[in-house]
Amino acid sequence: MFYKTALATSVMMLSAGLAHAEETYRIGITQNNVGVDSYQTTYESAFENAAAQNENVDVVVLDAGGDVARQIGQVRNLIQQQVDAIIIWPTNGQAVIPAIRQAHQAGIPVVVTNSKIADAGMEYIAAFSGPDNVQQGASSAEMMCDALDGEGQIVQIAGQPGYTTAMERSGGFEERLAEACPGVEILETQPADWNREKAQRVMENFLTKYDNIDGVYSGDDNMGVGALNAAKSAGRAGDIAFIGATNFAVGYEAIERGEYYGSIYQSPVDDAEAALQTALDVLEGKEVPKMNFFETPKITADNISEFDKPVF
Amino acid sequence: MASAEQTKQGFMLSKKHKAGLLNFLSAQGILVFFLICMFAFSLFSEQFLSQSNIMTVVRQASIIGIIAVGVTVVIIGGNLDLSVGSMLSFSTVLVVDLHDKIGPVGAILVMFALTLMLGAVNGFLVGFMRLNSLIVTLAMLSAIQGLVLIYSGGQNVDIANQSETWFSVFGQGYLLGIAVPVIIFALLAIIVQVVMSFTGYGRRIFAIGGNPVAAVYSGIRKNWCVFSTYLISAFCVACAALVLGSRVMGSQNNVGQGYELLVLAGIILGGTSLLGGAGSIWKTVIGVLILGFIQNGLLLLGYPYYTQWLVTWVIIILAVWLDLANKRKHLLTRHS
Repeated sequence: MFYKTALATSVMMLSAGLAHAEETYRIGITQNNVGVDSYQTTYESAFENAAAQNENVDVVVLDAGGDVARQIGQVRNLIQQQVDAIIIWPTNGQAVIPAIRQAHQAGIPVVVTNSKIADAGMEYIAAFSGPDNVQQGASSAEMMCDALDGEGQIVQIAGQPGYTTAMERSGGFEERLAEACPGVEILETQPADWNREKAQRVMENFLTKYDNIDGVYSGDDNMGVGALNAAKSAGRAGDIAFIGATNFAVGYEAIERGEYYGSIYQSPVDDAEAALQTALDVLEGKEVPKMNFFETPKITADNISEFDKPVF
Repeated sequence: MASAEQTKQGFMLSKKHKAGLLNFLSAQGILVFFLICMFAFSLFSEQFLSQSNIMTVVRQASIIGIIAVGVTVVIIGGNLDLSVGSMLSFSTVLVVDLHDKIGPVGAILVMFALTLMLGAVNGFLVGFMRLNSLIVTLAMLSAIQGLVLIYSGGQNVDIANQSETWFSVFGQGYLLGIAVPVIIFALLAIIVQVVMSFTGYGRRIFAIGGNPVAAVYSGIRKNWCVFSTYLISAFCVACAALVLGSRVMGSQNNVGQGYELLVLAGIILGGTSLLGGAGSIWKTVIGVLILGFIQNGLLLLGYPYYTQWLVTWVIIILAVWLDLANKRKHLLTRHS
């Protein structure tokens, strides 16, 4: 075992040393669940495109189908294949840590993409590349504050319970709102699992329950548009400011129509390219920040023309 | 039959008060439980029994209800249909995607045709190949989900710019003050209930579910009957997809995920036996509404999500237990 590790490590160091000699890197990626949502599907094709444009890169693209056990098997498989680096989109931030540790011990650098892993695993990874979801929540809170002039009652529709992204966005939103905008009160938070129909149902119930709602914060635009639909049917959309995150095509169009106040622009293409670049930087021995966030700007009617309409 | 049971219970009530009260409660099982829940919810939430809330719940329940009408027929015929969840995803993605490509009329026609074809595959495998319906429809659940992903390439589909076309009437429209989804649900339930209660076809389905061997000996063409129940189920799914797609004006690939369980829960709550040969559409309607009101009530009371889950499914287990306890008691009284 020690011998194997030592061998792998020396091969790694050798390949790092020969980086300038047009070395071809083999990078394995295991994704969370391609096909479940448009973001991940676009991410995958963007990743493959980025790899195809780089002659020095050979990629092995795998998908865990949302299954932790399968993802752990895929990481082991990539270790066996002795790829130069592994990129992982964790299905579960806790359960994948032993597999990441194995890769680390085999001398293969691991880059975690999009969604974070638990702190216990941080020492085994070379870097994290992805959006800063806490910051996104905070930006949404600032937009909400602007939209309501610092006064009002709002409801929150959160993403899938237990999913890191959902928790970080909610956390960032609530913390920043309390700090920057004490006059805005969150009446209630309910999850809608990133599902538009569910968000529509939750919002219908909110509209029954509260006679006065000034704003809705949704964990992504897909749910936000569901909430908007519900408010439109009830004839109350005009009184409510809708703020989302992860700008979807439907959210973009709703901002253009003036029905939706704002969102956070997060491109799966940027996400995929940043992950590949981070892995390459690590392999070439460059200094890489441990938490490598890419830009996720606010998007409202004022600056929408600066952004391309999302393809998903 | 019912009156004889009631007399028997009345007799027991006077004889042994404690056991009698329990007997009475268990005989009414689900309905009593439902009334207790409704009463409790209305104590804590002013809006719960408001007209607008009741209308909202019925409208929200109608998608599950429409599917449950079809699945009840399959279950009465002695089989199961677990593929309805992913079939709903398939049909909704299809109708929404085709809406912009070939227009609403074409989209609806193609969607109904292809959904019925999926139902026909189920029906052929269970009815003619005599494969176990649980296995077939479980396999179809995953197979159809794969089909959805292949068709959509994993992308969400949306009706361009959420434009106001007449397509939106199926999910968002009103007729004489009643939401269109509710009307579709009610019409389907009434038609299927009438067919099941008053036609030879309905009696044949009951006969097959009750005792397939006897049904075949009495000259019923069992294969065709089973086949047809899956067509009815698929037709109902197509109607639900129409409502869902039009309500959301878009669709995700996994939009129907988990619907098969909610549909089954509604049917079981209504008291239809999973063993086949018994049950009614009317009871299923009640079951689906109970499910809807429980979820709405818990939400209005502001319970956190996990609690809602826990409480919903505990209530379902409790309801099934009450129902079963009631039936067992009858078996015992008959034998003693």
